[in-house]
Amino acid sequence: MMRIGLEVHVALPTKTKLFCSCSTSAKEPNTSICPICMGFPGSKPMLNKNALAIALSISNALKCEIPKQISFVRKVYFYPDLPKSYQITQLQRPAGVNGSVSYNKGKVGIRRVQIEEDPAKIIREEEYTLVDFNRSGIPLVEIVTEPDITDEESLRDFISELKSILYYLGVDVEGEFKADLNISLAEQRVEIKNVTGTKNLIDATRYEIERQTSVINSGQKVKPETRSYNAEKMITESSREKESDEEYGYIFEPDLTEYDTDGINLEKPTYASVMAAEYSSKYNVDGTLIKSLIMFDKNALAKLEYAKDKHNMKTVINAVELLSRYKKDFSNEKFEELLKTIEMGAYIDSTVMNKIEIGEKIDINKGVRIEDIDALLNSILSGMKKEEYKDNKKVFNFIVGKVVKEKKANPKLVAERLKAIIDKV
Amino acid sequence: MQELKKINGELNAFSNISTSVDKFPFSVKDNICVKNVETTASSKILKGYIPPFNATVVERMLEKKFGFLGKTNMDEFGFGSFGTNNENVARNPFNNEYVAGGSSSGAAIATSILKYHVAIAESTGGSIATPAAFCGVTGFVPTYGTVSRYGLIDYANSLDKIGIMARSIDDVKITYDTIKGPDRYDATCTDNKIGNHDNKKIFIIDQMLDGVEENVRSHFDNFISKMENEGYAIEEKSVDVLDKAIASYYIVAMAEASTNLAKYTGFKYGFKNEQYGHGYNRFFTEARNEFGKEAKRRIVLGTLVRSASVKDKYYIKALKIRRIMLNELNKLLSGGFIASPVMPMLTPRIDDSEKLNPVEVYKMDKLTIPPNLCGLPHVSFPIAYRDSMPIGVQVMTSQFNDYAIMDFAKIWEEKFEYKYRYNIGEL
Amino acid sequence: MEEKDFDRLLEICRLKLDEKEKESVKKDIEDVIKYFEILGTVDTDGIEPAYHPIETMARIREDLEIKCENQKELLDNTKTFRFYVVGPKV
Repeated sequence: MMRIGLEVHVALPTKTKLFCSCSTSAKEPNTSICPICMGFPGSKPMLNKNALAIALSISNALKCEIPKQISFVRKVYFYPDLPKSYQITQLQRPAGVNGSVSYNKGKVGIRRVQIEEDPAKIIREEEYTLVDFNRSGIPLVEIVTEPDITDEESLRDFISELKSILYYLGVDVEGEFKADLNISLAEQRVEIKNVTGTKNLIDATRYEIERQTSVINSGQKVKPETRSYNAEKMITESSREKESDEEYGYIFEPDLTEYDTDGINLEKPTYASVMAAEYSSKYNVDGTLIKSLIMFDKNALAKLEYAKDKHNMKTVINAVELLSRYKKDFSNEKFEELLKTIEMGAYIDSTVMNKIEIGEKIDINKGVRIEDIDALLNSILSGMKKEEYKDNKKVFNFIVGKVVKEKKANPKLVAERLKAIIDKV
Repeated sequence: MQELKKINGELNAFSNISTSVDKFPFSVKDNICVKNVETTASSKILKGYIPPFNATVVERMLEKKFGFLGKTNMDEFGFGSFGTNNENVARNPFNNEYVAGGSSSGAAIATSILKYHVAIAESTGGSIATPAAFCGVTGFVPTYGTVSRYGLIDYANSLDKIGIMARSIDDVKITYDTIKGPDRYDATCTDNKIGNHDNKKIFIIDQMLDGVEENVRSHFDNFISKMENEGYAIEEKSVDVLDKAIASYYIVAMAEASTNLAKYTGFKYGFKNEQYGHGYNRFFTEARNEFGKEAKRRIVLGTLVRSASVKDKYYIKALKIRRIMLNELNKLLSGGFIASPVMPMLTPRIDDSEKLNPVEVYKMDKLTIPPNLCGLPHVSFPIAYRDSMPIGVQVMTSQFNDYAIMDFAKIWEEKFEYKYRYNIGEL
Repeated sequence: MEEKDFDRLLEICRLKLDEKEKESVKKDIEDVIKYFEILGTVDTDGIEPAYHPIETMARIREDLEIKCENQKELLDNTKTFRFYVVGPKV
C-alpha cells in the first residue's frame, strides 16, 4: 500500500525572531541582523515567549500531547546558510507529540511538532553565494506526520485541513508552504526534500508515485534515498544528503534551559470544516459551500456565528458569500443592513455593496430610486381607469410584475409603492 | 606602562594593552568580547574578529568606573591547563622557564605582576584555579549561572563560568558584586541570593588526594592543620564517583566544544578564506586548518562522543554521572567546605609539559574538575612557596554560597604573607 | 578505530590533517576514548542527565523588537557585495 508522510515547515507570526529581538519583516538584505542571528562568537540565544505560545497552540490544535517541559537541541551540519553551523531545534521534548488531523474522509497522525530556527537565505552565484541573514532565526514549526496519507486526494484534503487550522492560529498560509515528502509504495522509503507550495507537493507526489510504480513494475526494487524536486522539469532527482542522522550529533542546547509549558496561554483552535458540517446538519444548508466560505476566512465565520440564530441561514450564507465575493469587511450593523436588503429580495451587486459600506440607505437594487418607480407606476396608472385597478388583485399583480421586470426592482417595494399610490387616488 | 610592556614581552600576559588607563584597571581574558577590541580566544581562526558589542561583564565593569587595561593571553579557546596551547606561550612570572598555568594564563600573570588590578577570567574545568595557583594569586570561580556569559566565546556552555583573579579577597568581592546578577541576554543566568554560610568544617576527600605528589601534599597538610587551629573541624571522606570526574568532564566539555567550534568556517568573522569558488566543504575545511592541534583533537573527540550510535554510551552517560556527582557533593557541602591542592604536582617546566600526552595532561585536572563539572563556587590561593614558586590550595563550597569561601580565604589571607616577583604600581 | 571511519569523522568535522598529524591525532583519540571507557562501570539506571549543574530558571523574552545598532560593524567583519555577505559556492 502507498504511504505518504509529510514534514511541513511554517513560519510563526511573531514580530521578532526566535532567539533575538530582530524584526521578522525586513526587506532590504541584512538590515534585520544582530550578533545572535548571525551567530557571532559570544552571542547567546534568548527564547521568544510568543513563538513558544504559538507553537504550543499549533501543537494543541493538532491534538498533540504537550510535554510538561520542552527543551532544545543543536543539530550540527555545515552549510553557508547556517550561521552557527548548528540549527537550534527540538528532539526529545518538542512542542508536541502524538496528535492527529481529521478531515472529511480520514485522519492523519501527527508524530511531532517542533520549534526551530530558519537558516539564512542564500543566492547562488557561479563562483560564490550571497547570504542574507534577515531570514536567519525566523521562528518555524516543523510538523511531522505519520505516513498515513494513501492517495493524492487525501494529500490534498489533508493539506487544506492543516492549512485551515494554521490559518485560524494566525499563521500566514498564503506564503511559502515548505515540506519534505516521504513516499513508499513498497517497503522502501523515499524522501523528497524542500518542496515549496501545495501545487509542487502534489506534482512531486504524482511524479514520484509514477516513478516508483514503474520501477516496481519493471521488477526492480525502489532505492531508499533522498531526492529533490525540480519544479521546472516537474521531476524528482536523486540528491546526496550533507550529513546523516548519525552525524548530526544532536546535543542538548546548553545556552537554553528547559521551559515549563503549563503557564503558557494556548489559543483556542478552530476547526472550520467541522463547523461547516455542524451548520450543514443543524440548519439543513449546503456544507460544501459553507466550508469553502469559512476555511480561510475568519470574518466569514464570525458573521455566520453572529447571524446564525437571528436570520434565515440561507440568507446568512448568501450574505457571507457576497462579503467574500466583493471582499468586504462589514461591521455587524452593516451586515444587518445587507441581510435586510437580501430579505427584501433585492438583486445585489457591487454598487449596492458599496452603498451599504458607506452607510447609504438602500431601498432596492440597481440604484433604482423610489421616485423612478413611482413615476413609472403613475404613468401606467394614468393610462387606465380607476375602476380597472381598484380592488383588482390580478391587475395589481400584473402592474407590480411589469415594473419589477422593467426596473429590476424589489417586488415587495414595488407592491408597497403601488398600494400607497392607489390608496391616495 | 613602559615597565608593564617590557615584562609582558617576556611573559606574554597580554595580547593587547590599552595606551592609558586612568581608572582602577581591569583586564579581560581574550575569550570575552570587548567592543571594538580584537577578540580571538588566542585562536588564529578568530584573527581580526572585532566584536561590535561588549560582554555583559565588561559592560558592568565599565559602568562601575573600572578602566579597561587589555586582553589577556590564554590557551586557544580555553583548551589547556598550562597556557602553552597558543602562538605566544605564557610564562610563569616567578620563573619564566615554568608554565603559568591555563587556560586563563594571562589573567594570572597580570594579577601577579600588577599591584592594582583585577582580572576578568573564565573557568571551564580549572582554568582559573590552576593558573592562579601557579602564579600565586587569588582565583575565584562563582556558582555557575550567577555571572552572565553573554559575550563569552563558548568553550562548553554548561561548564563555562566567568570568574575573577585578584591580589586580595576584597578586590574579588567588589568585582563579583559588580558583575554578578541576572542578564536578559543569558538564559542560564539566575537571580538566586548569594549566601555566606560557614559550618566551620573542612572535608578532605580520599579520591582527590589519591595520587597527589608528596611535596605538594606536605604543604597541603600543613595548611589544613593551620586551619584546624583556626577552629575548623577536619573530616576525611570518600566519594567514589569522583574517580569518574575527569572522563565525565572531558566528554561533556568536548561534546559541547565541538558544536561551538563548528561556527568557525572562515567567512563571517576572523580568519577569511578567499577561495569562494572551492565550494563550501573544501572552503570550510581549508579555513578550519587554522585551529591549533588541541582544538582539532577536541573537535574530533567531541564529534565522536555525540554521534548517534555512541551518544548514550558517552555523552548521556557523562551527564548522568554529573547528576550523581552533584547529588553527592551537594549533600556533603551542606555540612562544610571541601579543600584540596589545586594540581597534584608542582608547577611544571614548559619543556617538560610539552612531553606529556593528552591523557596525562587531562588527568592533571582531577582536582579542579569536580567543582567545575558541578558548577560549585571555589577559590584558589597560595599557601606556601617552594623553591621560590607558589603552591596553591582549592576550597569549594555549596552552590550559591559564594561569599562563604571568600570569607574563608580572607581568614587565610590575613595570616599569610603573599610574595610577588614583580610589583608594578602606577600605570 | 578503522581508517575509513576516522576519515569520515574528519570529514564531518570539516578537518583535514596531513599524514603525520593524522596518525598522531588518531592515536591520541584512541587513547582518550579508551580512557573514557571507565564510565561503563557506573550504574546510572533511572538517573536523569544533568544538562546544567544548577536549577536554571527558564528566562524568556517578550516578542518586542529591538533594532541592533551595530549592524554596520557586524558587516564590517565580513566581506559584502551589495549588502549581501559573500560566502562559498554551493
